[in-house]
Formats: sequence, structure tokens, C-alpha cells
Amino acid sequence: MLSREDWLPLARKLDWDYTYVREDEVFPPVISGHPWLPHTEWKDWEESFKTSYREYVDNQYEKDMAVYAVRDAVGRLENIQKLARPWMNSLKVHAAALPLAEFTGVIGSLRGARFGRDSAWRTMSAFGALDEYRHTQIPLLLFHQLVRWDSQFDWAHKFYHTNNWFAIAARHFFDELTLGQNAIEFAIGTNFVLETGFTNLQFVGLASLARESSDHMFERMVTSIQTDEARHAQIGHPVLAVVMKHDPEYVQYLLDKWFWRSWRLFSILTGLSTDYLTALEQRPYSFKEFMEEWILDQFLRTLDEFGLKKPWYWHIVEDELDIYHHMIYASAYTYRATLWFDFALPSPAERKWLRQKYPKYWDDMDAVWEQVIERWRTVGPGAANELAVHGTALPTFCDLCQLPLSAGTPRKNTANVLVKDGRKYIFCSEPCRWIFLREPERYANHKDLVKRVLSGEAPANLPDLLTEYFRLTPDTWGKDVYHGAYDWLAAKKTSTV
Amino acid sequence: MPIPLYGFLEGDTLGLLVLAQEGDTVLELARKLQEAASLRVAHNDKIDLVYDGKAIDPALTVAQAGLQALDRFDVIWRDKL
Repeated sequence: MLSREDWLPLARKLDWDYTYVREDEVFPPVISGHPWLPHTEWKDWEESFKTSYREYVDNQYEKDMAVYAVRDAVGRLENIQKLARPWMNSLKVHAAALPLAEFTGVIGSLRGARFGRDSAWRTMSAFGALDEYRHTQIPLLLFHQLVRWDSQFDWAHKFYHTNNWFAIAARHFFDELTLGQNAIEFAIGTNFVLETGFTNLQFVGLASLARESSDHMFERMVTSIQTDEARHAQIGHPVLAVVMKHDPEYVQYLLDKWFWRSWRLFSILTGLSTDYLTALEQRPYSFKEFMEEWILDQFLRTLDEFGLKKPWYWHIVEDELDIYHHMIYASAYTYRATLWFDFALPSPAERKWLRQKYPKYWDDMDAVWEQVIERWRTVGPGAANELAVHGTALPTFCDLCQLPLSAGTPRKNTANVLVKDGRKYIFCSEPCRWIFLREPERYANHKDLVKRVLSGEAPANLPDLLTEYFRLTPDTWGKDVYHGAYDWLAAKKTSTV
Repeated sequence: MPIPLYGFLEGDTLGLLVLAQEGDTVLELARKLQEAASLRVAHNDKIDLVYDGKAIDPALTVAQAGLQALDRFDVIWRDKL
């Protein structure tokens, strides 16, 4: 019987010469990706951590059993009900954003499993697809038990099937990155940028937040997913290395594009959870500290390793670390009924902490919160007053990322208008405009929410927009977790200096 | 026909869609935006409406100011330009 060391290299590398079809018919450029190269250029493709199917299944079985064990021990409804209410809403954000996004990763990985240019790449992608299927099923299973208790958890399955504004943005991102992508761009955009650069390390951070919040079920789930990510993310490196030899400018473009697009989405998901939806005494770090220590430094080191430049907009990312997710949170709080989870007003102690962590622009953000708090004081607390502390005008959205026009600072919003081929587009930022202009044929016909309302495709009045288009109900739409009933809010002044 | 415009109020955290009438004055348009953002930004009487990089005479109408559908305008604190 052959030893593992003897048969695994043979099983991993099963490429052959074609006799009755051309190689470019087996791997069409449109779906295998650019640059199209003969297999001789890919034959040395190697993953760092090699595994067999049997080893894969054994490993995954053990990891699944560990998740079940934690669920049975501390993941029951009564355990979840003990969690802090703001944190519960961080769970709802991730419950919705994660599972079906992971399912799009199944499709993208399967494209690599068929159209990746080397057999070892294809084998790794097949494992990656199984990973992503697992990452879909585990959160759906764990959160399903919570639906009967809190119907907002129903959005774990529902979110991507709605036209909720955040679902439109998330779909715009994942449809391009994973569902509709060729094998090379998927490997660089998803495996290298999103997974190596963001999710792999962010899941470590999320697990840490969950542990601090005593949410051991979510901690275990995220940790279990992260170990899969660490394995299949390695597909990106060898793909990138080959493409770098033939078209380094293209690699640089893909990096610049996907880092920006990933930053946009994840600064919201992780930024809100870290700085607002985790109880103050349980925050191990600020979002900015986490990004600087875990994401940005590591990403720059990786770029160096491949001889790539840092993205041209890097200074914008560094500046946005201080403000973007704060702009989004304040905007979303004042439009909370448009989302499927609840929000907490930052207390004076939290605002003091935020001022210490984000001194650059906090004065302007604090003025916004003081105004919101004043409105609660005027109308008084209570569920009946929720909509009196809520925006009524239609918010506006970027024609690239589809997220609210909340970039820049309260003093200077960086939204900019583009007239192209007789149509007007608006972008939240220079990088979003730049990406649009690099591939206008890809993005020009997508309608943001404002254009859908103006064309009559979506209702113009807020109640109909919420219920008919966003598929929310009075039970599920977002509210203040305490309906404005905070002890500190009754006090006349809430100075945070 | 109302004219949909992207309005950005200084001090606010997002842009808002404002529906203007051609006959609205520039001052009325600025007030519409302030009202729409009043949950987040305290009222300020001393404001300018800026379009295409210039402060616009508040007495002009939206049509006279040349504002067209899906243009951006800003309402800023006076004397900032």
C-alpha cells in the first residue's frame, strides 16, 4: 500500500494533455480568467498546506462535533437570552450578513474547482466549496432556533432575498466578487484580498469580541469557520504569484479594487459591532486599533512580499478609520426602521471612550448624538415615540458600493457627481468613482435605491418602502433597544468632554 | 414636476434626497434640507447654499440657480467660503 507521501502528490496533480479539444475550449478565458496562459505556466502551482479528502472529512467532522457540543452546552435559548441586548443585535447583523454570503462563496469556489488552471488548485477549490457550504449551514442551524423567540433572527435566511438597502449593497458586492466571477479574479479578490486580508483575521477579532461578551456559541462558530478560511484562503497566493509574472498591473488593479470594496462592507459590519454593539466594559479594543494591528499592517507586509504597491487611496482608508463607521452608525440609528436589528444610543461613558479613541473628528459626531438625545428628551421614551426620533427624508446611496452617502466627515461629505453618457451618477468617495470608471460597462446599469424610487420601481413613501420593498414589519424593523428609556438620558446634560 | 436633488447639510452624517419645486427659492430649498436633517443637526440661521462651488443668492429660484435633477447642493455655515 502506498504511503500518504507517495500517493497524495499523485492524487493532487492529475493534469493531462487534451487530444480532441483545445485547452482554451476546456478553460475558456471568459470563465477561467485573465491572463489566459497555457498550463505549462500553471504546472508548478502549489498550496502550502496539503490535505487529502479523507483528512479533510475527518477534520471537518471533529470541528462540527465541537460546535454541536458547545451549542448543547451553552448555545440554548436561555443562554442566548442572557446576553447583553446590544450584543444580541451584533449577532443579528452577522446572522443575516454571513450565511448566504458564504453560499455565494460555494458557487465561486466551485468555479475554481472546474475552471482553475491546475488540478491542485481545482482540488483545493473543491474543499473550499465544501467549507463555504458548511459556513452557510452552521449559522443557519444555530440561529434558526432563535427565530421562535425573536423574529428578527429570521433575517438569517431572509436578508439576501429582500430589497432592503443593505441587502442591495451586500448583493452588489457578493454578486460580483463570488457569484459571477471568473476563477482568477475570484482567487485574487476572494481568497487573497477578502479572506487573507479581512475575514481570516477579522474572524479572530470577532471571536474575541464574542468571548468578552460571554457569547461562547458564536465564539466557537466563528473560530470553527476561521480555521477553514485560513486553509482555503491560501489558494490566492499561488494564483497571484503566476499572474504577477504576466500582468502585474492587472493584479494591482484587482487588489486596489477589492481591498476598497471589502473595506467598505467590513468597516460597517465589524466597526459597528466593535464600537457600538459590544458593551463598553467588554470592548477589548476599538475598531481602529483592531484594524491597525490586525488588518492593515499585515496586508501591507503581504503586498511587499509580492512586490505590489499599497493602494493609491491608502491615505483615505487611514482617514476613514477615524470616522466612516461612526457616520454610518449615526445615520443608521436615525433610520433604524429600515434595518432588521436594533440599535443602542451611545451613553455618556461610551461617548467619552469614543472621544478618547477617535479624537480627530469626535466633536462633530458628538454634536449629532447630542441632537438625537435632545429629540428623545423632547418626545419622551417609549415604543410609541420611536418614529418621532427617526428620519423621514429618503437617504441617498452610492452608485458603486450602494451604501449611504456617508463618507468624508460631517463638515465635508466626499460625495461626488459624475455625468457619463447622458446619465448622472453619484459616488460616496473617490475610490468608488475610480472603480466605476475602470469598468463602467459592469456597473452603469445597476440602479441604486434612489433611482428605483424615482423610476417608480420602489415605493416613495417610507411605510410602504419598509414593508413592501424592504420586507420588514413593525415587529422586525429596527428600534432603539430601550426605546429611548436610558437613565442617563433623563439628566439635563450629557457632557462627554 | 418636483426636482430630486442630493442635499448635504454641514454637520450631518449622510446626504438626503430633497424634492424641490422649480419656483422654490434657494433659501426655501436650504430650509427643506435643514428640516429633513433636524434630527441630527441643530438649526442654524446663518447658512449659505453652495452649488457648483459657489454660494447662491438665496432669493433666486431653483430654476434660476440652474439646479437640475440629481445635482448635488450643500448647505454650509455662513462665511465659510
